[in-house]
Amino acid sequence: MIVQDEGEPFFFQGGRTGCLLIHGATGTPKEMRWLGEYLASQGHTVLGCRLFGHATKQQDLLRARWFDWFTSVEDAYHILSGSCDQIFIAGVSLGGLLSLLFASQFPVTGLIGYSTPYSMPEKIAVVLRPVLPLISKVWRYFPKGEPDWHDIELHKDHLEYPSYPIRVATELHLIIDEVQKVLPSITVPVLIIHSKKDASVPYQHAEKIYKALGSQDKEIIWLENSGHNVTRDTERQKVFLATADFIRRVSTHNPQ
Amino acid sequence: MRQILKGGEPFFFPGDEVGCLLTHGFTATPQEMRGLGEHLASQGRTVLGVRLSGHATDVRDMTRSRWQDWIASVEDGYQLLEDYCSKIVLIGFSTGGAISLYLAHTLPTIGVVVISTPHELPSDPRIRLLRPIIRPLSIFYPFNPKGPPDFYDPEAAKARVQYNHYPLRAVPELDTLFLKMQEVLPLLKVPVLFLHSKNDRFIPPEHMNANFDLLGSVDKSRILVERSNHIITCDTAREQVFKAVSDFAERISGKRE
Repeated sequence: MIVQDEGEPFFFQGGRTGCLLIHGATGTPKEMRWLGEYLASQGHTVLGCRLFGHATKQQDLLRARWFDWFTSVEDAYHILSGSCDQIFIAGVSLGGLLSLLFASQFPVTGLIGYSTPYSMPEKIAVVLRPVLPLISKVWRYFPKGEPDWHDIELHKDHLEYPSYPIRVATELHLIIDEVQKVLPSITVPVLIIHSKKDASVPYQHAEKIYKALGSQDKEIIWLENSGHNVTRDTERQKVFLATADFIRRVSTHNPQ
Repeated sequence: MRQILKGGEPFFFPGDEVGCLLTHGFTATPQEMRGLGEHLASQGRTVLGVRLSGHATDVRDMTRSRWQDWIASVEDGYQLLEDYCSKIVLIGFSTGGAISLYLAHTLPTIGVVVISTPHELPSDPRIRLLRPIIRPLSIFYPFNPKGPPDFYDPEAAKARVQYNHYPLRAVPELDTLFLKMQEVLPLLKVPVLFLHSKNDRFIPPEHMNANFDLLGSVDKSRILVERSNHIITCDTAREQVFKAVSDFAERISGKRE
C-alpha cells in the first residue's frame, strides 16, 4: 500500500448534508477522523479527504504544489456531491486555508476553519521567502519544534510527517497570498475556532481572518486549553459540539 | 487558478453493496469512464470514478507525477468506496486496468475488469529507441503533441476530455507500472474479465492475450469487440462493453449464477 495505515481518507454515509473535512500540512485524514465520526453520529454524510503528497512518504511533499492540494479538495467535493444536496467545508490549518479558497470558487453552505493562519506564522520563513525554493534544493527538511499538545498522550498516537519539507513553506506562502485576496469575497456563514494557546499559529490570526471576511454571519469560538491540533486535543468535544451546532443552525437558515 | 478540467471531474453514484471502482487511463480523465459508471448505476451498483493524480488539470502537472501517486489515487477511491460497500469490483481502462490488476494483489476485491490494457509500453519504434534516455530528454522536450482523437464514433471524439500532449517524464513511470503489473499477474486468483477491440490501432489485442496468459486466476475470460479504436468505453462498441461489465459484476457478486 502506498497510503500509510490509518492515514486513509474516509467516507461515512448519512443524510443529504455533507461535511468535507480537510487535514493540515504534513498531517493526515486521521486528525479529522474523530470529528468526522461525531458529525456522522449527528446524521451527516462525511468525507475526510487526503491531500496530495500526504500520508505516504515525506519526500512526496517536495513534489507537491498548493494547487495539487486544491484539486484534492475538488475531488472530494465532486464525490461528496454525488450523495448530498448541501456541503459544509471544514479544515484545520492548511485545511482551513483550502476551505476558504474553495468557498470563494465553489458553492458551499458554510465553512469552519480551525487554527487557520492569516499570514505565514513562521517569521524565518517570511524573511527567507525569496530564497526558500533555492534553500529547499540543498536543505530539504526543517525539524518540527516541541509539540504544543495539551494532551501529550494524544500526540504519541498522532500520525504525521516528522519534519516540514522546506518546499512546503513556499507553497504555503503562495496559498496564503491567494486566500488573502479572496477573503472579502467570501459571503457564506463562517465559524472560526482557535486556541488562545496555539503555539504554531497565534490566536491573532483568527481575528485577522474574521475582520477580512466578507461574510455577515461570522463567529469566533476561543479555546483555552488546546494547542494547534484542536480537532484532537483536550477540548475536542467542545470543537465537535460547536461544529455540529453551526451546521444545524446554518442548515435551517438554508432549507432544501 | 488551476482547477479540474470541466467534464473531467471524478464522480460518485450511490447504490447497493456492490461497489464499482472505475479508473481512467494515462493522460485522460474520469470522463472516459462516466458512461460506463452511469450504466452500472442504472443497474443498481454503487459507482466511484476516481481522478488519477496529475490528470484532468494541466499537462505540466504530469512532469511531477509518479506511478505511486496514481496507485495512491485509486487506493483513496477504494477506501471511500469501502465505507459504502461490502464487495468491490476494480474496473480499469488502459493504464487504469494495469493499476486495477496491481491493486488486486493487495486489496480485497471480488473481481477485476481490464479494458484495452497494454501488457507493456506500446511498440511505437520511437518509444523503444528513446526508452533509455527519455528522462533526460524530458527536461528539454517535455511534451509531445497527440494526434486528434481517433474514434469510429465522431460524437465520442467530440466529447473527449483529455490532455493533448504526452508528457515524456511520465513515460518511464508508465514503464515501471506495467512491470509491476506483470509481476503480480501470475499471483492473482480473483475473477478477471478482459475487454479489447480487434481494431485497437494504439494497443493491439495481442497485449490483452499476453496479460491473459500470464494471469494466475482460474476464472478468467476475454471479449473482443469490433468497430472501435482504443477507447471502447466511449466508441461505437460501448453498449456491448457496458453490458459485458455489468453482467460480470452481477455474476461475481452473486446476483445471478
